Amino acid sequence: MLALIVFLPLIAFIAILLGAPARKTAIYSAGANLVLGIYAAVMRDCSCLDFSVQVLSKPEINLAFSTDGMSMVLVLLSVIVTLAAVLSGKAPAGRETLYYGSSLLISAGALGAFATTDLFFFYAFHELALIPTFLMIGILGRGERKAIAWKITIYLGLGSIILLVGLVWLANLAGTMHIPSMVENLSGENALDSGTQKSIAALLIVGFGTLVSLFPFHSWAAPAYASAPAPVAMLHAGVLKKFGLYGLLRIAVPMVPEGMQVWLTPVLVLLLANILWVGYVTVSQRRLDLLGNSSVMHMGYIFLAIAALVAFPENTLAKPAAILLMFAHGISIALLFGLADSIERKTGTLDLEELGGLAKAAPKLAFLFGIAGMASIGLPGLANFAGEVLVFLSAFQGYDPTQGLGSVQIACIISIWGVVISAVYMLRAYRNIFQGPAIPRTESAEDLTFMDRIPAVLLTVVLFAVGLYPNLLLNLLR
Amino acid sequence: MNSAWILLFLPLVVAAANQLVLRKHSLVPYLSTASAAASLVISILLLGKEGNAGFDWASIGDFSLRIGIQLDGLSTGMMLVVTGIGTLVHVFSLAYMKDDEACSRYFTGLSLFMFSMTGIVLADNFIMTFIFWELVGVSSYLLIGHWYQKPSAGDAAKKAFLCNRVGDFGFMVGILLLWSLTGSLAFEDMREGMIRFQDANPALFTGLLSTAVLCIFCGAVGKSAQLPLHVWLPDAMEGPTPVSALIHAATMVAAGVYMLFRLQVSLGAELFEGLFASHVIAWIGATTSLAAALMATQQSDIKKILAYSTLSQLGYMVMAVGLVHGEAGMFHLFTHAWFKALLFLGSGAIIYACHHEQDIWKMGGLLKKMPITAITFLIGTAALIAVPFTSGFFSKELILHAAKESNMTLFIIAAAVAVLTPFYMTRLVVIALLGKSRSDHSDHAKEVGPLMWVPLALLAVLAVIAGWLSGIAPAQPAHAGEFHLNALFFISLGALLIGSSVAFILYRGKDRDPVCIALLRELFYVDRFYDNFLVPVFQNTVAAILHFFDELIINGLLVGGLSRGAASIGQVCRAIQSGKLQYYAFAVGLGVILVVYFTVFY
Amino acid sequence: MASLNEYLLVSGLLFAIGLAGVVLRRNIIIIFMCLELMLSAANLTLIAFSRFHTVNGLPDYNGQMMVFFVIAVAAAEVAVGLAIIVALYRARQSVQTDQLTALKG
Repeated sequence: MLALIVFLPLIAFIAILLGAPARKTAIYSAGANLVLGIYAAVMRDCSCLDFSVQVLSKPEINLAFSTDGMSMVLVLLSVIVTLAAVLSGKAPAGRETLYYGSSLLISAGALGAFATTDLFFFYAFHELALIPTFLMIGILGRGERKAIAWKITIYLGLGSIILLVGLVWLANLAGTMHIPSMVENLSGENALDSGTQKSIAALLIVGFGTLVSLFPFHSWAAPAYASAPAPVAMLHAGVLKKFGLYGLLRIAVPMVPEGMQVWLTPVLVLLLANILWVGYVTVSQRRLDLLGNSSVMHMGYIFLAIAALVAFPENTLAKPAAILLMFAHGISIALLFGLADSIERKTGTLDLEELGGLAKAAPKLAFLFGIAGMASIGLPGLANFAGEVLVFLSAFQGYDPTQGLGSVQIACIISIWGVVISAVYMLRAYRNIFQGPAIPRTESAEDLTFMDRIPAVLLTVVLFAVGLYPNLLLNLLR
Repeated sequence: MNSAWILLFLPLVVAAANQLVLRKHSLVPYLSTASAAASLVISILLLGKEGNAGFDWASIGDFSLRIGIQLDGLSTGMMLVVTGIGTLVHVFSLAYMKDDEACSRYFTGLSLFMFSMTGIVLADNFIMTFIFWELVGVSSYLLIGHWYQKPSAGDAAKKAFLCNRVGDFGFMVGILLLWSLTGSLAFEDMREGMIRFQDANPALFTGLLSTAVLCIFCGAVGKSAQLPLHVWLPDAMEGPTPVSALIHAATMVAAGVYMLFRLQVSLGAELFEGLFASHVIAWIGATTSLAAALMATQQSDIKKILAYSTLSQLGYMVMAVGLVHGEAGMFHLFTHAWFKALLFLGSGAIIYACHHEQDIWKMGGLLKKMPITAITFLIGTAALIAVPFTSGFFSKELILHAAKESNMTLFIIAAAVAVLTPFYMTRLVVIALLGKSRSDHSDHAKEVGPLMWVPLALLAVLAVIAGWLSGIAPAQPAHAGEFHLNALFFISLGALLIGSSVAFILYRGKDRDPVCIALLRELFYVDRFYDNFLVPVFQNTVAAILHFFDELIINGLLVGGLSRGAASIGQVCRAIQSGKLQYYAFAVGLGVILVVYFTVFY
Repeated sequence: MASLNEYLLVSGLLFAIGLAGVVLRRNIIIIFMCLELMLSAANLTLIAFSRFHTVNGLPDYNGQMMVFFVIAVAAAEVAVGLAIIVALYRARQSVQTDQLTALKG
C-alpha cells in the first residue's frame, strides 16, 4: 500500500516518458495518490500498509516502507501538495514531459524518503528528488537560472555529502540500516560515547540544516524559489525541505541525544538568526520573492521545537508541535507560491512597487492570497497558528520559573517577535499588491479561472480544516 | 449551555454562508443582521446563567488546548453589550451601507467580528482568548480596510494590525509565563495554581507575577490602544463609521480591559494589591487618558475627536483596573459602550447627511436640520461628560472615587480629564450642531431615515438609564447607581461646569479655531516620531542593514568567497598545466636533479 | 689516459646542453637534434662505464651492447620523428612549437 503510494508517481513518470499525455497522467496519478494517502491515514495502524523487499544482503539493505504518525502526516502533506502543484503548474509549450515528469519525480522522492524505514533509501529517495529540482531550475527557471541551479546544486550537494558522512558513521556504529533498530541499538546501555555523539551531531546538524536552510546555510533558498517554476517551488518549499527537519527528529534526536545537547546553544543562536535576521532581510525585500525568505524564516520555529525537545527530553509537546507546524507551513507556503505564480502570470511582474489595487480586478485571487498570507503569519483558524502556539508552549513545558529563564525559553521569547516581523512584510506585500487604487497594470488583469482555483481551494480547505480543529491531524500522531 | 454554543458559532456559520454561498446576494445584510439579533436574544436568555463546557481543540497526550465556554456574570453581561450594540449597528448599517458596492463583504466582516468578539467574551482559557483576540484583530483589519482602494484605508488597516501584533507579542509571552507559574491555562484553575506557587516560593512570587501580568498587559495596551501603542485607533477611523462605533469604540477596544479584569478576577484581586504591575497599569491608563483628552481638544475631524475621546475613556478604565477597582472600570466600560456607540452612530448619521464631510468646521446648525440625530447626539454627549444622573456620571464617579482613595496624583489627573472631556465635547457640539451652517454640505443636510434614527433613539435611552442597570452589567460595583452629595460630587460637577462653559464661551459663533496649540494638534509628535524615526530606523534601516550584510557576508564573503577560492586555486593549477611540453620537460629535469641531489647528498 | 670522471664530465655537459636545447628552443628540428645530443651523452656514459668496469680483465660489454641498442632505436626514432616533422611542416607551414597549439585547452 505504502509502496504503491511511493511508486505511483514513478510509474506515472515512466508512462509520461513513454508518451502518455503529460498533464493528464500527472494529475490523475496525483489525484489517485491523494485518495490512497487519505486511505492510508485512515488505516494507519494496519500492518497491511507495510512493505519490505531485501535489495542487498550484505550490508543488509531493504526496500522497506512503514509509517508511524510522524511520517504519515508528512506523506499526507506530500500527496496534497503534489496534487496542488501539478494542477497549478502551467508548462511552457513543448516542455510538458520535463515539467510534469520532474514534479512527479520530486513527489516520489519525498514520499519515499518519508515512508521508508531504511537509512539507505531514506537518503537515496531524497537525492532522487533533488535531481529534477536542479534540472527544472536550470532549464525552466526564471532570471539567472543557470547560476542559481549551480548554486543550489553545490549547496545541497555539499549538505548532502556532509549528511552522508554522518549517516554512514551512524549506520556503521549501529550495525544495521533499519532506522527503528538503529535507534534501539544506539540507546540505553549501548549509547555512543559523548565524543562520537558530538561529532556525529555536528555533521547531522550541518547536513540536515543546509537542506532546511538553517542560518547561515540559507542563501540558496531565496534565489532558488524565486527562480524555480511554480510546482517545483511548491514541492520543494512545501514538502522536500521538511526532509531535513524530519531527519533531525527521526535520526539525530533519538540516536545522538547527548551530542545534540552539546550543540543546543549554537542551534538556538542560529534559529534566532533564521527568525530575526532573515526576517528583517525579508522586510527589506521589495519583490514578492520575499516568500522564499519567509519560508526560511519560519523554519526557525520548527527548529525551536526541536531544540525544546533536545533540551528537555521528556517534552511531549515539542514533536507533535514540530510536525503540525511542518504540515501547516508546507501547505501555506505551497499555496503562497502557487498564487504568486498566478499574480505573475496575470500582471507580468512580482515587483511590489509596480503593483497595486489588484483586488479590484481579481477579488478571488485577493481573497485566497489574503488567506494564505494570514495563515503564514499565524492567524488562528488557519493551521499555522496551532503549530506555532504549540511550539511556544513546548518551549515552556517543564520549565520551572523559580530557576530563571533557560536558554530555550529566552530563545522562545525572542522568537515570538518574529510573529510581528512576518506580519510586517506580509501585510506590506498585501497592501502593495492588492490594496490602494487600481493602476493600469492591474486594471485589466484577469481573475483566477475555475481551473486556477481548484488547487488553491484544495490547499485552503486543508488549512482551514486543520486550523479550525487541529486534533484532526494531532490524532494521527497518537 | 447549548444556546451558548449557538451564540458562539452562529455568526461564524453566517459569515461562512455569506462568503461561500450567498456571495453578493442581496440577502447577505439581512442574514447578518438577523444573526446578530438572534445572538442578542440568546444573550438576554443567558443572563444570570452560570456554567462551563468545552471540548478539546488540540490535544497531545494528557495536555490539551480547549475551546471552552465560561458563563458567569462577567461574560453574560459583556455578551449583552456586544450583541446589543452589535445588533443596533447592524440595523444602522443596513441604511448606512446600502449604496456600497461591497456591502456583502462588509456584513460578512461584521459577522466575523461578532464571532470573534463572542469568543473573547466566552473564553474559559487564555489560549482561546488569544485565538479570538487575533481574530478580532483580523476582522478589524478587514473592516478598517473596507474601502481598500483609498491608500489611507489600506495603510490604517495595516497599522492597526501591526500595533496589535506588537502588543500580542507581549501577550503571548505573558500567557507562557503565567502558564509556567500556575500550570494551567484555564481561568478556573489559575488561582489554585497561583496560590500553590505562592506558598512554595513566597520570595519570588510577586516579581514573577508582576512580570507575567505586565507582559499580558502588553496585549491590552495594543488592543485597548493605550500609550504607547495608541496611534492606530485614530487612524482606524478610516473604516465605515458603524464599524468605528462597534469595534473601535464599544466592544473590541474594550476587550483589553475585559481581559485584564478577567485575569484579575481569576487570580483573585487581592494578589494585585500593591503589585508593581498594578501601578504601571494604573499610570499608563491615567497618562493615556490625559494625553488623549488633550489631543482631542484640537482635532477638527468629528470622528477623530470621538476616537481620542475613546482613548481617554479607555485610559480611565485601564486606570481603574490598575487601581484594583476593576469592577468600576468594567461598569464604565458598560455605560461607555452605549453612549460612545451612540455618539459614533450619531456622527455616522451626520456624516451621511453631510455627504461624507467630516470636518466640524464645515458643519454647523445641524440641530435644526436633523433634530432627532442632534438630540440623541446631545444625550450621548451628556452621558460622556457625566452630566449628573446620566449613565456616564455614575460610572465615572466610581472611578474617580477609586482614584481618590488610592492615589492623589492619579486622582488629580483623572479630575483634569474630567475637565477636558466636557471641554472638547462642548466644543464639538457648539461648532457642529449649533450656530449656522458653514458649507453647502451641511446646508443640504436632511434628517436620516428610521433605520438610522431608531438605533440612535434606543441607544440614547440606554445611555441615560444604563447607570441604573448594574444588575445586568458585566461587573457589579458595590455602590453602582447610588448618589451621594459628597465632595466628590461637587468636584466632578465643578469640572463639568468649568469645562463646558469655557468651551461654550470660547467657541460660540466662531468660524475657525481660535485656539491653536501645535503640540496638541501634532499629537505630542508621537505619530511623527513613529513615522519618521522609530519605524524607519528600527524597522527599515535595520532590515536594510541586515539585508546588506546578508548579501555581503553570507552571500558575498562566505558563499562567494568559497566559490572564488575554488576558482583561484583552479587558476594557479591552470598556470602549472600550461600544455607546453618544454615546461614539462624542464620540470622533469628539475625533478630529476632534485631527486638525485636528495638521494645522493642526504 | 683520461679518467672516468673526465668522461662523465663531458657526458654531463653534453646532456645539459641537450636538455637546455630541448627546454629552451622552439624549433622542433633543433629540439630533435638536442634530444639526439642527450642520447649521445647517455651513450658516452655507458661506454665510459663499460671501459672502466672490467670483468676478468676485459671491459664489460654489456654497456656497449646497450649503446648499440640505443643507436639502433635512435636511428628508427629519427626516421619516424623527421617524417612527422616534415608532415607537420606541410600541414601547418611551421615547425615552431609555440605556434602549434591546436590541442591546448
